[in-house]
Amino acid sequence: MLEMKNINKIFQTADVQTHALRDFNLTVNEGDFVSVTGPSGSGKTTFLNIAGLLETYTSGDFYLDGQNVGMLNDSGRSKMRNQKIGFVFQGFNLIPDLNLFYNVDVPLRYRGFNAKERKQRIEENLARVGLASRMKHVPSQLSGGQQQRVAIARALATDPRFLLADEPTGNLDSEMADGVMSLLEDINKQGTTIIMVTHDPELALRASRRIQVKDGRVSELDIVAEKALA
Amino acid sequence: MLEIGLIFRALMRNKIGALLIALQIALTLAIMVNAIFMIQDRNVQMSRPSGLDESNTFYLTNTVFGENYNLQAALQTDLQKLRNMDGIDNAIQINAVPLSDGGWSMGLAREPGEDKNSVGTAIYMVDEHGIDTLGVNLIAGQNFTQQDIAWRGAQDTKWPPKAIVTKALATSLFPDDWQSAVGKTVFISKDQPMQIIGIVEQLQAPWNGWSGVERSTLVPSQLESKSAKYFIRTEAGRRDEMMAAVEKFLSESDKQRIIRQVMTVEDTRKQSYQQHIATNKILTTVIITLTMITAFGIVGLAIFSINRRTKQIGTRRALGATQWQIMRYFMVENFMISAVGVTIGAIGAIALNYWLVNTFQIDPISIDLIIYGVIALFIVGQLAVFYPAKRASLISPATATRTT
Repeated sequence: MLEMKNINKIFQTADVQTHALRDFNLTVNEGDFVSVTGPSGSGKTTFLNIAGLLETYTSGDFYLDGQNVGMLNDSGRSKMRNQKIGFVFQGFNLIPDLNLFYNVDVPLRYRGFNAKERKQRIEENLARVGLASRMKHVPSQLSGGQQQRVAIARALATDPRFLLADEPTGNLDSEMADGVMSLLEDINKQGTTIIMVTHDPELALRASRRIQVKDGRVSELDIVAEKALA
Repeated sequence: MLEIGLIFRALMRNKIGALLIALQIALTLAIMVNAIFMIQDRNVQMSRPSGLDESNTFYLTNTVFGENYNLQAALQTDLQKLRNMDGIDNAIQINAVPLSDGGWSMGLAREPGEDKNSVGTAIYMVDEHGIDTLGVNLIAGQNFTQQDIAWRGAQDTKWPPKAIVTKALATSLFPDDWQSAVGKTVFISKDQPMQIIGIVEQLQAPWNGWSGVERSTLVPSQLESKSAKYFIRTEAGRRDEMMAAVEKFLSESDKQRIIRQVMTVEDTRKQSYQQHIATNKILTTVIITLTMITAFGIVGLAIFSINRRTKQIGTRRALGATQWQIMRYFMVENFMISAVGVTIGAIGAIALNYWLVNTFQIDPISIDLIIYGVIALFIVGQLAVFYPAKRASLISPATATRTT
């Protein structure tokens, strides 16, 4: 479903060449809940950006849903992001000028759904995260945990194959973080593949599969579910 | 999908900047449209034909200082020699030159008497060569004959019994049928009769700002004056050459006079409309400056708005917006701000014009001009926002995952 083979990412400035990812190899299967941990600067955000088609890579092969991502131009990557990937960001990244309804509406408009279908999806997904009654509120009227729930509703509204979460609980207190994690677990149980970057080892343990990135490489692969079975 | 609803909602939550730009667009439109209208009005005035063969005519002032000088004989000799010069088609003495800002005006009335309504007219004193030399077009009646021409001293108040008038003057005197003016008698200086023997198509008065600038009368008189104007028509394309030649010939042929102010009619026209030309330049500068200030304002607002929303743009890109969709967002946003601006501006332009019409008695502005102004400002807005919008479209979607 997601397959990275020998992915390299080099950031080049006038004087310095930084190898952010080195021969990065990873396969993520449908239904996985993968946590990605690693120290600061290890390359986990670069991995997430490349996995989410937010950045291009320098060399290697990357297949998403069987499609060679390297063949896509900017417009093609935008379409694929919209159709196959949902994002949950650490800072929620909601649009402060729009209420919850229209925040969730943003990716649906890029998808080209008609008004009726958009409305249905918005209402469904806001209900799914428990915020159906607050769709007229703007983000600043919500708590951090609620804002992250809206971001999750926005990510799910397009029915993505993957949900990429970048420190989804990083800006939340432990109670809210737990609530968001539970929601992600539910979503995963319902069949959505999740890749979550986190600093928090406790949250990482809640994923069915854990990987660690160090110096731009996958240094450890720990399939919790398989261990449990063994 | 143009996201008009979403853009509108976002604008409503950040009204001030957008409203200021909309007001700037409105002000620009109101001033621009009226300024263009004033420029057009002046251009129309400046493009009115004088009736003269302007490209092949010039004139000069012949000032006599010798004692016991025979003015009549000298004038006849000069004109005779000038008419025989190679390169010259014809020459006359005239009391004033169209558009030169100096001349005579009188009133013509259909009935004699002090209390009768008269129509103002410029007076040109010419001989039977007048029509040909000026290059005016006789469209009815006939020209003067040599026998019609009478000498007129500086103190004379008596007017000749014949006149040729312009079509505009004939129309003012005989509104029902201008052609019927031929053969009619009109009265000058209260009760001196003058028979209209011909009508010329056009001959402007010396004063371009006068409402009766098209009303002129030719009378068969030769002024006996120590300072006379000679008006000369040359063969096509030989005017500049003949100006020098005529000045030299006249200066050398008689040492009891000086030749001054040798000038083309084209230069006279330019001088006459100098104020119009200067005003048009000022108005054009105002339009360009205002438009540029507005364009810079739009660029400034767009850049500010984009810098403030970098992360938001990155997020939109991450959620699937293409570069074009990001560009389009800002261009549609500008279009909507411009729409508010031009709506207010169009109302402002009409209000300003209404005031100008009532204050300065100018014609009302045409709707076409407002429409062109609106289109122009929409284009300016879109051009101004293009660069910032393009910059916004190049914001990386990876900006969404940056924590700062």
